[in-house]
Amino acid sequence: MATTVNLTINGKNIKAQAGTSVLEAALQEDIYIPTLCHHESLDPEGTCRLCIVEISGSVRDSIRISCVQKVKEGLIVETDTKRIIHNRKLILELLLGRAPEAEFLVKLAAEYGVTRSRFLTGESNDCILCGRCVRVCRDKIGPHALCFVNRGPDRKLTTDFERLSQYCIGCGACTNVCPTGYIRMEDKGNKRKIFTWDQVIARFTLEQCDQCGNPFAPKRYLELIEKKAYKPKGLEYVDYICPECFKNYGRVSVERQEMALRKSAVKWSVPRS
Amino acid sequence: MKAKHNDSIVISVCTGTGGVASGGYKVIDAFKRELAKIDLTARVGPRVHKVGCRGFCAKDVLVDVDVNGQVETYQHVTEDKACEIVNSHIVNKEPVKKWLVKDDYHNFHDKQQKIVLADCGKIDPEVIDEYLANDGYQSVQKALSMDPEEIIEIIKQSGLRGRGGGGFPAGIKWESCRNAQGSPKYVLCNADEGDPGAFMDRSIVEGHPHLVIEGMIIGAIAIGSSEGYVYIRAEYPLAVDRLRLAIDQAREHDFLGKNIFGSSFSFDIKIVLGAGAFVCGESTALMTSIEDNPGEPRPKYIHTTDKGLWGKPSNLNNVETWANVPMIIEKGAEWYASIGTEKSKGTKIFSLVGKINNTGLVEVPMGITLGEIIFDIGGGIPKNKKFKAVQTGGPSGGCLPASFLDKPVDYESLYEAGSMMGSGGMVVLDEDTCMVDVSRYFLDFCKDEGCGQCTPCREGVAQMVRILTEITEGNGTLEHIDLIEELAAMIRDTSLCALGTSAPNPVLSTLHYFRDEYESHVVNKKCPAGVCKALTTFTIDENLCTGCTLCARNCAAGAIYGEKKEPHFINQDKCTTCRVCYDSCKFGAVKKG
Repeated sequence: MATTVNLTINGKNIKAQAGTSVLEAALQEDIYIPTLCHHESLDPEGTCRLCIVEISGSVRDSIRISCVQKVKEGLIVETDTKRIIHNRKLILELLLGRAPEAEFLVKLAAEYGVTRSRFLTGESNDCILCGRCVRVCRDKIGPHALCFVNRGPDRKLTTDFERLSQYCIGCGACTNVCPTGYIRMEDKGNKRKIFTWDQVIARFTLEQCDQCGNPFAPKRYLELIEKKAYKPKGLEYVDYICPECFKNYGRVSVERQEMALRKSAVKWSVPRS
Repeated sequence: MKAKHNDSIVISVCTGTGGVASGGYKVIDAFKRELAKIDLTARVGPRVHKVGCRGFCAKDVLVDVDVNGQVETYQHVTEDKACEIVNSHIVNKEPVKKWLVKDDYHNFHDKQQKIVLADCGKIDPEVIDEYLANDGYQSVQKALSMDPEEIIEIIKQSGLRGRGGGGFPAGIKWESCRNAQGSPKYVLCNADEGDPGAFMDRSIVEGHPHLVIEGMIIGAIAIGSSEGYVYIRAEYPLAVDRLRLAIDQAREHDFLGKNIFGSSFSFDIKIVLGAGAFVCGESTALMTSIEDNPGEPRPKYIHTTDKGLWGKPSNLNNVETWANVPMIIEKGAEWYASIGTEKSKGTKIFSLVGKINNTGLVEVPMGITLGEIIFDIGGGIPKNKKFKAVQTGGPSGGCLPASFLDKPVDYESLYEAGSMMGSGGMVVLDEDTCMVDVSRYFLDFCKDEGCGQCTPCREGVAQMVRILTEITEGNGTLEHIDLIEELAAMIRDTSLCALGTSAPNPVLSTLHYFRDEYESHVVNKKCPAGVCKALTTFTIDENLCTGCTLCARNCAAGAIYGEKKEPHFINQDKCTTCRVCYDSCKFGAVKKG
């Protein structure tokens, strides 16, 4: 059984499961801490530094980031002290200088009373370099198609050698986690394009649904799913069904599997007894 | 008196980086040639061998000529001088006085206390037998006969602290790594020295690689590790070659590999080349780099001694720390603890660079004052200029003014003064240095070298550089200074790694000690040191100008006019404020303002 620890956040005594982060513990208690690079389905990396909190008690008094800091017995956390708010404002203002039009960021900054930035860089785009897309592609999906290049302020999101990615499978997870909409996916007819403001990351031709005939997913994506999914032994042929048709079918039934087998009768390789 | 057949003759030629660059290898060849000519048969040798850096790089190539134990040192030796030195000193036993080192060489060494660098400059770094003849690898044998806990206790007692900059007690680090759960454990050596103007670790590895290897083996015995890595920059080719050779030699002698010294203990070292990123000197970035990932730091909420390289317990120390270990094991904790101050023990190597007469590498006991290092050892500022500040601790250190010259050098006092020990860079600045420009330079370095992961360091430092550039270009306001301070405080509070949190140090320390210079830049629009081009004008004092025409001849812009032997004038419209006239005038007639 997981042990619980007692800690204090903003004067409120809280019980949290050992091993959770301060951020998770705070969110459970409806205490709001702003985040940018954090995403509930990704491992925390702690790079946007927006979720800073002041901690004391069982550790040395310091400013830590709540997404990485684990809860500890007797920890005292303050999420909105003057110093924290001041630093957060400056961080938001700096990011706003890089991405002055990113809707998500503008809204968040406005919550802190930051409406204009003194730090306009001039070469703005919507990317705030939070790295969510890189992490979801690398850690969760697996192809590692996106990466950061260059150091310091020249850091940039791109693909290997800034060319069309050979590894992108066109799943669109990156576009899903991007907080600002810098990285996008577009389907036109049977073509799919994943792109940022200044670079096309990958282009795909979509495979047709074996049921309704509508184009719905790139080949590389389906192959990855096929590799990851359970496949009955001896079955060589798998047919592709789009989410719409899948919904109509409900779960893939025995009937469905038999149909697949019938279709692939030629390729059936295990001798029948 | 002529050379006898029973003389012992040893000629040691410096082949550190400075020595090689000044032609050390050619000098060795020249000596070998000349010795062959005189047909000498001596009792020992004659032997010409290469040795590591002995510190005084400004006088390279330095050559020690040892005849029957009488050592004389020559400075600035070139190929042509070899013939005369051999004929006069070795054949006729009369040293060539005009080329011998002068008083400054002795002053340079008198106040130093060499522990780590003791053998550097005496033994050939590429020949293991020379180290073995100097009791090499004895400490490992001693350590093998001790309990690991006993070794850790000795290191703890000695008070050895990490020489990489943090100053964390080495014994405590070793202990927590030993007690950490997980296997295998790694012993790492940080030889990724990136500070501008720093070459301490480089010289140790080039001059005495076996000392580092020996230290790492002892550390491995204490921690219970079987695998070590040296992370060394690829920009140090000589150091990499010598380290590689030393590791091979140690393997041949069974000092590395399976069952070292015939015991049950096994340990081996691999070399990993760094690609030149400054941030890879940060412990977690170094580890991600060894793991073949981009060198980016990770949040250090779990110590690397628990979860470091590949998630395993790892103990990282820098070259100098490891090089201290064999001596401590050999001579004992008490001996080591007797050197230095209460909290900072032992010696520290500094690379003394910048506006200083005796550029070079110095090893001094902790607690020596800055003034002693700069004026007694360093020989003061060239051209009788005034001392302005000293920048310690590399790009993330601070600039300390003249009032700190009598302050002792140790971890605590430097930190309290707003600077830090760092890995031991010491850049001396004279009166012709603009402090705003200096802090902009160091900050610009941190901006380019930061990994770019975290917002405060990536965006904040870049903005600070932008603001400082505006100030040096004459567009600064007082609000700019406030904004810099505001940003600096935020970056210190919230950056991910030590590179970010310490990046504002040069700006904060110069703002603290030289605020008037900043204010002069923004309020009076003048650069007092005459460095920032937009804020400086040069004029010629009619009373002092002798009309020698030197400035006019040197001026590339053709901005200086005047008759011979008559006072000259500067056309301000044409002047590019390049400073050539100021630097070339022998009468001090060119004034800046």
